[in-house]
Amino acid sequence: MSADRNQPAASREAPVSVSGVMAMTGLHARASKPFWADAWDHVTSKLAARLALVWISIVVALAILAPVIASGHPLVLREFGPSGELLGVSSPLFDNLRPGELFGLVLGLLGLVFFVLPLPLSRQSRLAMIFAATLQGGLTILIASILELNALSRDPWGWLEAMRDPDALGLKLTAGFVFAGPFALLAIVVPIVNPLPRRIVVITLTALLAVVSIGHTWGEPDPVFDYRERERTGEIQAVYTLVPFSPFERQLDRDARNRSEGTSLDETLAKRVVTPLRPLVGPLPPDQLDRVPPELDRLPLDADQIDEFEAAYAEWRAQAESPTRADVQRALERIMGGSGARYWLGTDGQGQDVLAHLIHACRLSISIGLISTGIAVTIGIIIGSLMGYFGGLVDLLLYRLVEIVQGVPVLFLLIIAAGVLPKNVYVMMAIIGCFGWTGDARFIRAEFLKLRKMDFVQSAQAVGLPLRSILFKHMLPNGITPVLVNASFAIAAAILFESALSFLGLGPPDQASWGKLIASAIGEAGVFYHWLAVYPTLAIFLTVLSFVLLGEAFRDAIDPKRKKARV
Amino acid sequence: MLNYIARRLLLMIPTLFGITFMVFMIIALSPGGLAAGLQLGPGATQTQGEGGAAVVEAYLEDRYGLNDPAPVQYLRWLSRISPIKFTKRDQESPDGQRLSAPRPINPPELVRADWLPIETVTLDAGSIEPTVELEGLGTDELAGLYKRVRSEYANARGQFIRASKLLEIRAVDYAEAVGIEAAIESETEVRVERLVRTPFDAGSAAAAELLVVGEDTARIFNAAARARANEMAVFDAHPLPRMGIGVDGLWLGAPDLGQSFTRSQDVLELIGDRLPVTMLLNVLAIPVIYCIAIPAGVLAATRRDTLIDTVIGAFFVALWALPRVGVGVLAIGYLADSNWMSQFGLPHLPTGGLHSDDANEMLFLPSSGEDGFRPGYLLDMAWHLALPVLCVAYSGFAVLSKQTRAAMLENFNADFVRTARAKGVAPGDVTLYHVFRNSLLPLITMFVTIFPAMFAGSIIIEEIFSIEGMGKLAIDAIRRRDREVLLGVTLITTIVNLLALLLADILYAIADPRVSYD
Repeated sequence: MSADRNQPAASREAPVSVSGVMAMTGLHARASKPFWADAWDHVTSKLAARLALVWISIVVALAILAPVIASGHPLVLREFGPSGELLGVSSPLFDNLRPGELFGLVLGLLGLVFFVLPLPLSRQSRLAMIFAATLQGGLTILIASILELNALSRDPWGWLEAMRDPDALGLKLTAGFVFAGPFALLAIVVPIVNPLPRRIVVITLTALLAVVSIGHTWGEPDPVFDYRERERTGEIQAVYTLVPFSPFERQLDRDARNRSEGTSLDETLAKRVVTPLRPLVGPLPPDQLDRVPPELDRLPLDADQIDEFEAAYAEWRAQAESPTRADVQRALERIMGGSGARYWLGTDGQGQDVLAHLIHACRLSISIGLISTGIAVTIGIIIGSLMGYFGGLVDLLLYRLVEIVQGVPVLFLLIIAAGVLPKNVYVMMAIIGCFGWTGDARFIRAEFLKLRKMDFVQSAQAVGLPLRSILFKHMLPNGITPVLVNASFAIAAAILFESALSFLGLGPPDQASWGKLIASAIGEAGVFYHWLAVYPTLAIFLTVLSFVLLGEAFRDAIDPKRKKARV
Repeated sequence: MLNYIARRLLLMIPTLFGITFMVFMIIALSPGGLAAGLQLGPGATQTQGEGGAAVVEAYLEDRYGLNDPAPVQYLRWLSRISPIKFTKRDQESPDGQRLSAPRPINPPELVRADWLPIETVTLDAGSIEPTVELEGLGTDELAGLYKRVRSEYANARGQFIRASKLLEIRAVDYAEAVGIEAAIESETEVRVERLVRTPFDAGSAAAAELLVVGEDTARIFNAAARARANEMAVFDAHPLPRMGIGVDGLWLGAPDLGQSFTRSQDVLELIGDRLPVTMLLNVLAIPVIYCIAIPAGVLAATRRDTLIDTVIGAFFVALWALPRVGVGVLAIGYLADSNWMSQFGLPHLPTGGLHSDDANEMLFLPSSGEDGFRPGYLLDMAWHLALPVLCVAYSGFAVLSKQTRAAMLENFNADFVRTARAKGVAPGDVTLYHVFRNSLLPLITMFVTIFPAMFAGSIIIEEIFSIEGMGKLAIDAIRRRDREVLLGVTLITTIVNLLALLLADILYAIADPRVSYD
């Protein structure tokens, strides 16, 4: 604008001289791409990296969509009265969505649409807006969840507890704004989205979405999966998701609980047959699951069939003193007639669906991989830039800190911390992040030691720019490349750490995890249930491999030797 | 060079402090305290009686010194492992146990606060005179007496801890009766500083009971303080041979890693049993890695940008990405499964452990007698170690082969290689003698990066294959909240790790005359 004022109008219309850029354009030379755009093009030109991106997208999509792909709660539920009249239609799936799940779903879908639509806004700035919204909303919901997890028991004013009341709408909204407010204010300062009005729009929308999500389900729900039972009695009709099970939907526990009062046919069967058989059968492999033992007690049996059933059971008990798995299976198949919903990849020892577990475990792996790496990169950048910029005593002292964390194998530290601290997702993210920053700090330190001698830094110092500006506006963008490339490998390593910790039983107990599934693959008597080990191993392998391949492609893309080789 | 090694060794000391402090503080963060986690341990049978679990917890806290602030506990741990000690010299019992001077004993906080009107307590435990007669006792008699007074003090101290916990429970009752809610921490814990703010109110029944129990506790404290004085007197007469060299208050002695909280064994002894196993696992894995990865890297470099190069690179990266937990479990599930392996007519590998059950009766070397071939101890162990070593090693291939390839490629472009080619050296000789030899140097230091990763990886492998090594010890310790073992394992792991790094640097300097640290 200032240029407009200073220049005479005539010179704008007809340039008096031809610039070098114009000459090059005339020679059909295209403008060179920005650094990262060029690197991205190089990455996507490789088949391996493209495949890796596809797999990572699948895992991320599964992580976001897990609750609507695999859930024991029906998508649509139609309730009928005693005489068959329709009482109402509801969606238990939606009612049972956790705040994070709801937020992720809405933001994921809206974000995708927003990103794909042809809008007059560059893709880059749209990505930045989605990223800012994820960060702000994620932090808001994180704090709300931590409060919900830890503070409900010692709640000084009682309003956290009062929020559990489904009718306390005003309270939920107020509390939601209390959670969302501070992060919204914080987000105004962080210049991820520019200019300011656009930033405020993004922040407001995100805060609203977060408030709705938090208010939607507050308090740990105690899900009761009694739909199939009620469906059998004709009370309800249900439409399920693609995989009609939740990862922790235990068939037998639930049936036992529902049947604790009163005696029925079912109870007799469950007590006399299913319960003693269950430990003998153990997890069921996918190819034997057309006949599912948990379905057994839902068969409409008449008195004759019961007699037959009990006779078969007694006979089986008599002849098989120490029954093999095959014996048990045969006996069950002979006794049973019905078949239930299909468990595509089998069940585990408690009758829980493996496929649902696998899908829900994507969430843990991806979120731990991304967030712990984010924490590690942040710590690494701060400590590394301080070391590199100041040098001297600061460098000496902080480098001792790096050496201390490096002195022990990270996994060893992680095992100690995970074993001692409370077992939940956030602690796991924090500890993996807090022990993983040393590599990043060393990279940044080395870059900064080089950069601080350079002219542009010296002149920035000379004009008296504040330290924050010198460190993070001038030096960091020039020195951050190795850290960003390393982040891809760090995510891979974090996913491996998570699986190892979960395997050792040090992970969050209420979360589906690939490592946990592998740990259950070797039964108590040393029986090996291959489907509990093969699929999660494959999932971890593919995810880790994808991040490694992506990292290598990026490393090649930003390698200065590549440019030289092309010339 | 020596100068450099000395400097590195000295720099190791603050690192060791830092690491052990960090681990100590992480363990101290344990919610509910360590003693709560130890309940399932040795004291599990004593939870009956009044006070029950709380008394056992107090007893355990006192036994392991867990009721002090964490930094104090850390300093105490440091002073034990430090070779320079500032305490009285320890003495060695005939069965090799380290016996320290008796621990000081303090009157319970409630009594010390000068708030309960109790007369009988002697607040300064040091002023109590011993009642034992030491004149004219021979060495053997002195040792016998020491054993007696030692167990007397242990008993008296135990009783005192129990009594003061019961006193505290009474104080909670009292606080409830009088209505000082702020002083109640939990059912069995009281905040003394809050309680003593209001003067003692003798009116209620709870107060009377508190007073009675208080007097009781004071009496028991006096008895315990006397027992301590007795033990101290006998200890000062040196009934047993003294350890280390120096004088009381400044002496040199072997580091003491303490006793395991959950097993009655010295930590050093436990680690001494386990460290060789872990080292064996890792040391066997290193040649496996080098023998496979280096030829593969050389091959990839000589056939640069061909199919072979791509395949080798992809294969090793894929190996790196395989999760150890999955590979270990799958290896046990398939390769150690007799049904599965017999499909291919192969014998199945063992599922775990280091030896067969009858390993002790085996000859060391394989032999073949009339009853056929016998594997012998060595072969049996190799047979058991095959799977674990492979599982530890496989992920190291990628790093090393990539490094080899890069080093080779760099040297292929070097001037001396071009000169060698120009003067007509055979291409194979150029690769082997000019390029490969010069590429070997950085490979020496490679185990610096591989070793810590392998060490950590063997934690998981030991757990899966139930090999009694350091990793399994650490995991068992963390499950039982056994702090002493954890700290010991941390210390030793760190020392081994840092020494490996130092060794690599020294080897590098020896192998490459251009490198000098002076």
